[in-house]
Amino acid sequence: MSGAITGALALLGPVLLQAQQTPLAKRFEPTLINFMMLSFLLFVVGVAGVLSRRNIIIIFMSIELILNAVNLNLIAFSRYLELNRDLLTSKGLIVSPLSGPVFTIFIIVVAAAEAAVGLGIVIAMFRNRETVSIDEIDLLKW
Amino acid sequence: MQLHGWEAALFYVLAILTLFMAVFVVTARVAVHSALFLISTLVNIALMFILLRAEFVAGVQILVYVGGVMVLFLFVIMLVQTRAEEEAKVKLYTRQSTPAVIIALLLALSFYFALNPAQTAYRPPEGAQPQVADAGDMSRAGAGYISRDTQEVGEQLYRQAALPFEIASLLLLVAMVGAVLLARGTKQEQYYD
Repeated sequence: MSGAITGALALLGPVLLQAQQTPLAKRFEPTLINFMMLSFLLFVVGVAGVLSRRNIIIIFMSIELILNAVNLNLIAFSRYLELNRDLLTSKGLIVSPLSGPVFTIFIIVVAAAEAAVGLGIVIAMFRNRETVSIDEIDLLKW
Repeated sequence: MQLHGWEAALFYVLAILTLFMAVFVVTARVAVHSALFLISTLVNIALMFILLRAEFVAGVQILVYVGGVMVLFLFVIMLVQTRAEEEAKVKLYTRQSTPAVIIALLLALSFYFALNPAQTAYRPPEGAQPQVADAGDMSRAGAGYISRDTQEVGEQLYRQAALPFEIASLLLLVAMVGAVLLARGTKQEQYYD
């Protein structure tokens, strides 16, 4: 029990330390970390959907959720790279903040192609097996 | 930092809305409801892109995802709808739902421990001013104000990423032909074969 309390204090310690140093309004301003946290929560929700649902269409929608989480991460990274560009170039790093949006556009293109082909497969499967639940589509299982 | 005042508040509102809608996508009983919640999630993420001053990507997100992919999803749900899941006794989840939740929690935990050192180590430089012309200056954001984001992304797309751009168009063509080929009916197959 006391171990759990000390563990929680060790986790919360840096947050509390930061809380004392910065004013309230400034502390709640979202930074890159907040965007990354939102992105990984979206990703985790998508993974849970892919692994647990029976309906194959909803599994596809969960994959779209995962791809969108990655998109959000890329855009946030590119924008905060741009913000810190002077600092990073002074350290000798080559900064190209526009790679984020370009990658995002390609991810959207690939997601659209994947959705089209995947839903075509779903329609073909439904015509043959009269079902969209993945635990009844078990032809490759023995 | 970059997002001050009402923008910071808007970020939290959008983040909470996005997460709730994403959970509803995964847990909704009827597939159409799931699709509508996913549309809401995608619009929220597009608003988040606008908040990050990536207007072009936000427009692409709305046009391609909400206008294209989600309409495709809704059509397929309409074609494939068995209406079995609307009854309360039909199972929604596979037998691996407990391992799925455990894996998701482990993933969340690992992400948390990956981000936690970054949260304390990442110190934004004091008085860092963004190099983009539009960022942080909302007084000029009236009618007739055009951000440079679209122009810059377009230039980057055609200069640095010209070959991937062409390959992407080829991929879309192949996907379109493949989808039509996969989804055609038995009558059409007999007719053309």
